[in-house]
Amino acid sequence: MSPIRIALNASLLFIAFIIQEGVISRIHLPITGFSLYLAIIVSMVLLENRTGAVILGFVGGIILDLSPSSQSPFGQWALVLTLVAYLIAVNSESIDEIVSRPVGLGLFVAAGTALSLALYLILGSLLGESNGSFGRDAIVIAGNFFWTMLFAPFLMPILIVIRDVTVGARERI
Amino acid sequence: MARGGGNRSRLLLVILLVTSLFFITLDLRGVSVTKGSRSVTQSFLAPIQKGVSDLFSPVGRFFSDVKNFPSEKNKVAALASANARLKTQVLVNKDIQGQLNQLKGVLDLAGRGGYRVVAARVIGHGSSSTFSQTLTIDAGSADGVRVDKTVISEHGLVGVVKSVDAHSAIVLLMSDPAFKVGVRIARSQSIGVLSGTGGNSFALQLLDPAGNIVVGDTLFSNGSDSNTPFIPGVPVGVVTSVDHSSSTLTQTASVKSYSDLNNVGVVSVVISAPATAPKTMINPSPRATVIVYVTPTPTPTPTDSPSATPTPSASKKATK
Repeated sequence: MSPIRIALNASLLFIAFIIQEGVISRIHLPITGFSLYLAIIVSMVLLENRTGAVILGFVGGIILDLSPSSQSPFGQWALVLTLVAYLIAVNSESIDEIVSRPVGLGLFVAAGTALSLALYLILGSLLGESNGSFGRDAIVIAGNFFWTMLFAPFLMPILIVIRDVTVGARERI
Repeated sequence: MARGGGNRSRLLLVILLVTSLFFITLDLRGVSVTKGSRSVTQSFLAPIQKGVSDLFSPVGRFFSDVKNFPSEKNKVAALASANARLKTQVLVNKDIQGQLNQLKGVLDLAGRGGYRVVAARVIGHGSSSTFSQTLTIDAGSADGVRVDKTVISEHGLVGVVKSVDAHSAIVLLMSDPAFKVGVRIARSQSIGVLSGTGGNSFALQLLDPAGNIVVGDTLFSNGSDSNTPFIPGVPVGVVTSVDHSSSTLTQTASVKSYSDLNNVGVVSVVISAPATAPKTMINPSPRATVIVYVTPTPTPTPTDSPSATPTPSASKKATK
């Protein structure tokens, strides 16, 4: 992944971060909130090779660590999303079959989001953070899973178009 | 979908993981590199959140309004009957009003202490990507808001200011699992610690092994040194259930907060305490009092005084 691609992806993720913090967080969805940002990261990782996926996970995690509402230590999301991105990239061959259908794609992105949240909680517990009751955390993860599964199939075509444009821009440079 | 990589990606993974761990270690050791970056993000996001709040506030609660519509109808009917009952009760309460005014002198209820507050509008809620329960408000250091100040709503405690920007601040809600506040039970004056659980209920643990909790007990904040981060006497919540298991030395209970943290729109930040804190008013220092005794005027009674005795001349006049 070239520095220009990293910068473009980081810009895209930062815009998603602003939408997440500014707009999505204002909407009181039933069950619990929806993390557009995590859904976009997991979807974008699917489009990258191993190196690109790992860099994307790390950059995405660092941006999410900048969230002013975050109580966790800086770098926790970077660690989690780097690991999740690597896991997805390593298992890319078996994943490709699943994500070729919209339902499979939605399920996979939702599962990736849920895995990220679960790893974040586990790491937080290891670092001594208070994460609340298990039931409440399970509801948050399940709610995110549900909304991500609904929205992910609509996200992927947009991300593919953006990726094509950015790759074209790189080639032109 | 593009794939590739091998040893290079594994090496990169290790480098990035070590970098992440390095950041985490720095943060946990208190190096302020990260706090600066988060406050920069906050000052960047605050105007956007404010604009979005103005634009989307009618839409923001659409889903919750739709979900609550049937229950709202029942609530209106219940409120109408409660209103009628309360109207009659008001008449009875007038008699009690005098006694209540006296009691107010020794109870440090919220808002009575003459605290200076700054009203603020909620312009953002904590991200659903993190498990922290926070609010963003549109008042900041320029308005006198400082870190570790108590935040209250019209019904009671909401949380405490976690970080402050020039024109916005992040409030850690009392529902956050990391939130703890010392509370006092109004009935028994026992003290305990109330913790957030991430949801709508809160966990109360008494500090006194001999103390007891009853369903319906009301809790008030106990206050902190120099009123930071908590001022005393703020209504916190009501006990909804008591855990009778003997696994802990002291009693524990579930508590429902007075403030509806999901729908709070306007809050007040207590920015300064009065010269004499309200908690000192519970045990006022002795001072001279003036007691006025009103003695009833004696009823006039007939006496045998000479002036009152009829004289012969007077009798004569009378007989004439």
